[in-house]
Amino acid sequence: MQLAAAVVVEDLHKTYPGGIDAVRGLWFDVGPGEIFGLLGPNGAGKSTTLGVLTTVVHPTRGRAHVAGHDVRRDPLAARRSSGVVFQDSVLDNEFTGRENLRLHARLWGVSRRATAERIADLASVMGLEDRIDDNVRTYSGGMRRRLEIARAVLARPRVVFLDEPTTGLDPAIRDAIWRLVGQLRQDHGVTVVLSTHYLEEAESVCDRVAIIDRGRLVANGRPRDLVDELGPDLVELRVDGDAERAASALGGLRLGARPPLRRGDLVALPVRADRDRLTAAVAGLSRDGLGVRASTIRRSTLADVFAHLTATGASSSEETAA
Amino acid sequence: MTTTAGALAGIGPLYRRRLAVTTRTLSGIVGQIATPILWVLIVAPALDAALGGFDPAIDYYTFVAVGQVAFLVPFTAMFNGLNVIVDKDFGITRELVVAPIPRRAVTLANALGVLTIALVQVMLIVVLAVARGARFHTSVSGLVWFVAAAALLTLTIYGVAEILALRIRRQEAYGPLIPAVGVTPWFLSGALVPISVLPSGIEQLTLLSPWTHAVAVLRHGLMQGSDPGLAAIWHLDSEPVMAALSTLVLALFAATTLTLAVRAFRRAATA
Repeated sequence: MQLAAAVVVEDLHKTYPGGIDAVRGLWFDVGPGEIFGLLGPNGAGKSTTLGVLTTVVHPTRGRAHVAGHDVRRDPLAARRSSGVVFQDSVLDNEFTGRENLRLHARLWGVSRRATAERIADLASVMGLEDRIDDNVRTYSGGMRRRLEIARAVLARPRVVFLDEPTTGLDPAIRDAIWRLVGQLRQDHGVTVVLSTHYLEEAESVCDRVAIIDRGRLVANGRPRDLVDELGPDLVELRVDGDAERAASALGGLRLGARPPLRRGDLVALPVRADRDRLTAAVAGLSRDGLGVRASTIRRSTLADVFAHLTATGASSSEETAA
Repeated sequence: MTTTAGALAGIGPLYRRRLAVTTRTLSGIVGQIATPILWVLIVAPALDAALGGFDPAIDYYTFVAVGQVAFLVPFTAMFNGLNVIVDKDFGITRELVVAPIPRRAVTLANALGVLTIALVQVMLIVVLAVARGARFHTSVSGLVWFVAAAALLTLTIYGVAEILALRIRRQEAYGPLIPAVGVTPWFLSGALVPISVLPSGIEQLTLLSPWTHAVAVLRHGLMQGSDPGLAAIWHLDSEPVMAALSTLVLALFAATTLTLAVRAFRRAATA
């Protein structure tokens, strides 16, 4: 175990009653001050993993540490060192923004004086200073989310867990949320572990990501490294005829390490080759009577890594593009 | 943080939150005090007029005024079980289970909040009943018995309420249980008529009910020497001994239901 790591997950397993294996042997660690993304299709085990780290899910096997505290042996210390932003809004609807923050501060043992100062600071950073004394029922979705992020960092935790923090928010608010997360890391050195379905956001925000599929880790590293490892470029063919035959022909060119991915009439292959050779090869396929309607060569993205590494990546990728 | 302080961590802020939720709105305040006023000033005199002649030796208005405590307290406790569902569905239960406090603090703080509300209602009943003409015969020790019985009955029923709320999880399914669980046993508790006048099979059954013990101790506290409730349960000579026994029964009920409620909360909060 790396003692310096803010989060350590070792051989983590979780089997729910009924025999559902949600997590099957996860290993990863997160360094201090890192922004780390947990990515995966629905049901991959992201929420279960976050549940273990926030001590609301008991692991069946394996270990997890938050800020050096074993979540099973010392859950109170692990919780004291962390803050959580849930996927759904979790605010005390009877109270104002300030009262919500105060209750959090009391529970996390923040002194009254520090609470008052930090609420003033965070309300300003989050753009809530004019509404902090209003009942949270009157807040918009974006305001509620900003307040929840303020609450999560109020006690100056070492680690903040964000479970799909931008789901359901419009693009402008999502950008604002990620800017705030980056600023909090910069100002307070907080470690952020987040899950998201928005892969382009993960690529731009996260220092490292772990891609989980069916409870297992299938990739872990810096987004750019994962993209380079997959193949820095991507060949995409739109096929009118037999897509299987086109995929076979594309794979036969041996331009990359992975087999092509088929999604409807689309065949995609991550490649590592110079552009001239790629262009010539793709032009050759177009002439071979494979029914290639259109061809594209573009830079690979984290979404392509996700699509190629996860079993249900195709549908997830479509969701991301939507 | 000491062990004791650690064990109690979080109860203070959560207790204050629970009271704030209840008293935040005018309807919340009016709702909590309207029922005792209604009972003491309207229902109890009506019952006195309708049933008061069954035993000339008993001042029925005083008799039934004390019995109202055993009606109101469980009703309040059951009603507050709804807050558990509201907090889970719309509120901050998930925030509380990731807080660095023992999870039992959530249940215990809720129970203390309900206890406070119930004791305020009980005080209101006593004060209004005295103003309306009830003739209580009590002492310092009598008041202690009275408050202990009211408190333990509240905690017992709140434990049941929280268990049911956590299991049922839906307001519309929980609502009908409020009168069914919170009120029905009251009719057989000796609150309206002494249990000795009930059919013998029913009378034996009522001895297993916390309501019966609570009513007997409540009357021992405020109607010292003039109510046969404890003797009908224990058939002993010493009223203090019988009161202690019934209070012990109530304490066991309260400890059991609260322990089970804490377990139910832990189970509902984690997977």
